[in-house]
Amino acid sequence: MAEKITAYRFDRLDQTLNQLNSEDCAIMAGGTDVMVLHKSRRGVPPKIPKPVVFIDHLPELKQVYRNHKDLHIGACCTYGELLEHPLIPIALKNAIQTIAAPAIRNRGTLGGNICNASPAGDTLPLLYIYNAKLQLHSVSGIRTVAISDFIQGPRRVNRLQNELVTEIILPAVLDDESHVIFEKVGNRNADAIAKVSFAGLIRVSKGHIDDIRFAFGAVGPTMVRSSQLESLLLGKTLPLTQTDITQVVTAFDKIINPIDDHRSTAFYRKKVALNLLHYFLSLKHDQPNQ
Amino acid sequence: MIKFKLNGKIVETDAPATARLLDILRDELDLIGTKEGCGEGECGACSVFVNNLLQNSCLIPIGSIAGADVQTIEGILETDQFKILDECYSIAGGVQCGYCIPGMIMASAALLTKNPHPSEEDIRDGISGNLCRCTGYNMIVEAIHLAARKGDGIWQRK
Amino acid sequence: MNLKDISTSVPKKDHKGKVSGQLPYISDKKLENMVYGVLYRSPIAYGKIQSILLPHLPEGYEAVGADHIPGPNYVKIIKEDQPIFANEWVHYIGEPILMLVGKELDILYSLLKEVTVEFEEHRAVYTLDEAIKQKSTSTMASYEFGESLDSISAIEQGAHHIIEEEFDTGYQEHVYLEPQGMLAIYKEDEIVVQGSMQCLYYIKDALLSALACGDDEVRVIQSPTGGGFGGKEDFPSMMACHVAVAARALKKSVMLVFDRSEDMVVTTKRHPAKLKYRTAIDKDGNILSMCVDIFLDGGANAGLSSVVLQRALINSAGVYKIPHFHAKGYVLKTNTVPNGAFRGFGAPQSFAGIEGHMSHLSNLVKIDPLEYKRKYLVKQGDPTITKGKFHEPILMNDMIEDLLKVSDYKKKKEAFQHFNQQSQRYKKGIGASLFLHGCGFTGSGEKDHIKATVKLVKSKDDRVSLKISNSDMGQGILTTLSKIVAKGLDLPYEEIHYPDPDTKDVPDSGPTVASRTTMIVGKLLERAAKKLKVQWQAGVEQGIVEHYVHREMIPWDEKTFTGDAYPAYSWGINIVEVEVDTLTGNVKLKKVYGNYEVGKVIDERIMKGQIDGGLAQGLAYGYLEKMTSKEGRIQQKSISDYGPPTSLDVVPIESKVFDNPYADGPYGAKGAGELTLIGGAPAVQAAIEDALHTSFQQIPITPEVIIESLWMKEGDEA
Repeated sequence: MAEKITAYRFDRLDQTLNQLNSEDCAIMAGGTDVMVLHKSRRGVPPKIPKPVVFIDHLPELKQVYRNHKDLHIGACCTYGELLEHPLIPIALKNAIQTIAAPAIRNRGTLGGNICNASPAGDTLPLLYIYNAKLQLHSVSGIRTVAISDFIQGPRRVNRLQNELVTEIILPAVLDDESHVIFEKVGNRNADAIAKVSFAGLIRVSKGHIDDIRFAFGAVGPTMVRSSQLESLLLGKTLPLTQTDITQVVTAFDKIINPIDDHRSTAFYRKKVALNLLHYFLSLKHDQPNQ
Repeated sequence: MIKFKLNGKIVETDAPATARLLDILRDELDLIGTKEGCGEGECGACSVFVNNLLQNSCLIPIGSIAGADVQTIEGILETDQFKILDECYSIAGGVQCGYCIPGMIMASAALLTKNPHPSEEDIRDGISGNLCRCTGYNMIVEAIHLAARKGDGIWQRK
Repeated sequence: MNLKDISTSVPKKDHKGKVSGQLPYISDKKLENMVYGVLYRSPIAYGKIQSILLPHLPEGYEAVGADHIPGPNYVKIIKEDQPIFANEWVHYIGEPILMLVGKELDILYSLLKEVTVEFEEHRAVYTLDEAIKQKSTSTMASYEFGESLDSISAIEQGAHHIIEEEFDTGYQEHVYLEPQGMLAIYKEDEIVVQGSMQCLYYIKDALLSALACGDDEVRVIQSPTGGGFGGKEDFPSMMACHVAVAARALKKSVMLVFDRSEDMVVTTKRHPAKLKYRTAIDKDGNILSMCVDIFLDGGANAGLSSVVLQRALINSAGVYKIPHFHAKGYVLKTNTVPNGAFRGFGAPQSFAGIEGHMSHLSNLVKIDPLEYKRKYLVKQGDPTITKGKFHEPILMNDMIEDLLKVSDYKKKKEAFQHFNQQSQRYKKGIGASLFLHGCGFTGSGEKDHIKATVKLVKSKDDRVSLKISNSDMGQGILTTLSKIVAKGLDLPYEEIHYPDPDTKDVPDSGPTVASRTTMIVGKLLERAAKKLKVQWQAGVEQGIVEHYVHREMIPWDEKTFTGDAYPAYSWGINIVEVEVDTLTGNVKLKKVYGNYEVGKVIDERIMKGQIDGGLAQGLAYGYLEKMTSKEGRIQQKSISDYGPPTSLDVVPIESKVFDNPYADGPYGAKGAGELTLIGGAPAVQAAIEDALHTSFQQIPITPEVIIESLWMKEGDEA
């Protein structure tokens, strides 16, 4: 009853892309999600229904570099590598530090976190407010897509069978004067899946809000963000008035629809999400924290 | 055939590329020091080094470590670093049922090699992926503090 | 090393094997021609098995079920209601029905998916509340004792106020790092069973019954055990029966090891409980009478639940002398995973309840909870609620005074109140718990059921070995019991031999439970060692046997539930500081203190290990670990979903142990293994209540509970 398992591990990206173009394959970067998702029981390999293509060794996927003010991050950079890299913004490092534990961070990749598209994905709220874009390579060429368009639902991403996410681009994030916060709420201080997460960004110039963005994780099938609600606050001065804060919080109350599950309750998730939003909006300072 | 270096020697296996490194170590290579506590990367009992980085072998498909340098607890038993940890875990009383301990030792060594003078917070973060149900961690943290002090100079090597 | 003071710490005897990873636990064992077993488990909570259809089994693969059991189809624990392989009715999701056995796990897992069982499903009882409504049919055990309800009624007539409170406690799962595992080795003339266990002879007795065989046809050997905490007290007996029955039927050696997710979902857990209090107080808040009703969710079969209930009831008044007390308790059956032993064994539920209730009473009269509780502390000579007596000196007042000073409790409490007035997001609180634990088997268990026997043998070359049936599961008895014998013989403890318990070699010194090993078994070993020293003849093979001797105090009568329930008590006080994040409901431990009295410490480091480890579990029981059952199915299949503490979730514990030697304990020692867990949950609850000025009636006090309570408070204040 032995099953034939096919696996590929090429030296170069172009060879890998050719394989993806010829067969529908399961892509394996660090494996910290895929190996759990397809886990069987003790003593046996996971049950992965498609041929596996290993990619976490490909040098083309491990580059971190700046392009003017844009930051480019290779999709197979591990969390551990990003924590050590000087170009990675502090706020992103802080978010990465909340992921699992050291051994997982030595294998898990940013690309993997995105493509796994868990509603509770730890890097996702920040990537959303960074307006991250993803670069996808295939034999046909290169395509760039906004992260909010790429992630379509739990475990569902806009990736064609022959495409591979190669880079994450954070536009204009370097040398930026914004203040960014990230909070992950879990059931304990390590190895915890987020029950609620919140990322907020604010940039003030000459006392007025120049830019303000917030995204919520683990309270819906994908990250919850509303540029329409964000635009209501543009131009306003800090500290925001109670009326303004209440208006935004009330509006989010309507669009955040979390669920009850074995980890937490809908009531808790919504209340805490709104608490964190309220807290962020009530902050008086706005120092950059890069 | 998939080849990799294990505790200094080249080994090869014809197991499928998705086979868990943990199973190859325990079932094919008869190394029992790496244990299964959860099979999902949440307990750290299966900790190994891959290219000098601490990782959970229950989550590693052997296809991805072809050509890599893997070390299990058996591979570090003769080192000065292990001997210091051995001594300090004993002095501090950090070992109870023992099941988490090989993984804890691996995590301790990984931490001290990277950060020879860790703070309490650094130590707790360094072993945050290793679950212990017996000790409540404090005596293990003490052991690692002690190993940092007693082993001053040894950790910077490697 | 000959020790002057036995408490001085020594290197543990099993250190080398554990730290190198080379000490083999059961899943590290490999035998030639060994086969694996995987269990087919009931997918429904309650119903009748109508048919079992097996897939075609390839050569070398077989199915084992009830038909293969030579003896009766039940696991011998207390009641005869736990089948080895369910073959008529199933009573919970996960109940084993049959076992597939073969060489390759991969093939076994595939075959398992193809097994088809048809059921006639019946309406199940899923919750404790439902079971309480049907008390008359769902009660598996019950006890009642104390003053009559009539006389309590009379007192209530004259009371200023009657306070009624209902308190809920949740599941707790052991999460021993080593999942359950059992191996049966087939030999022509005997079946040898080895595995992870706490009770060598519980397993042997279960096997003798299941295999209907002679005493010398089955042999049990304990493997190094990676944690137990009570989870390996009775549960392994069923697994032992599974592998032994299979080995006997198939004439092969069979290994059964659980996955973590399997272990999380089907093994025994701490009984969820509902505790009801009805207390009459006078106008000054003094307690006039108290009635306590305890309901335990036993799950689908009785197991050890009656004894858990006994301990819960015996502890239902905590460390207090309550004038006019009455208690009643029930274990109720639900169609959920059967519950069993977990460190504390009913006491943690009771202490969480009574400590919370006493704190809430103190709030009514605006007295600090600790100050209020101290007025009721029992003293030496006071009767227990079962008409026994606290015979020994009690050091609690000294321990409390000391800890108040060390923790700066009063100043901290005031400072936190000030801080909380200014701080919006974070609130600080400090709280205390007072507790005890009865050492030894409950009631007359030691005298009537266990009747422990120990043996010391000296070989011709003067090597001394301990022959006892008790398991080192991490608590360090390999070292502490060796120290006790060494001191009695005036020999280095390194030279005392303590091989893995083997029923071929050792008498039944009783199970490794109930905080009895050091005190009861250790005392027998102390006596045996001293005798051997006196009778020592170099170069001659010698053996000393010691039997349990019961010192009668006030005899225990199970029918009337009266007498001395335990020969001795150990005592403790915890003080905990927390910081609560009111935006997220998350609780952070800031400082943890504990003062304990366990007679005499046999090894300081080992005792510290019990304090740190037990308290980590106890605290987490109060606010961090949450397990739920929905329609009969445990919802937390992974360690991270359940949430036991990581190294980042605990803080250093400042602890002190007070000496109070107990004459019937070895070198004065009593029990300590369970004591240290008991104070955790009530202390953290008290601290959270102090931080938020809110009362809680449940544990765990999770962030969800806190956020909901803050929201309700907001609503009340609006």
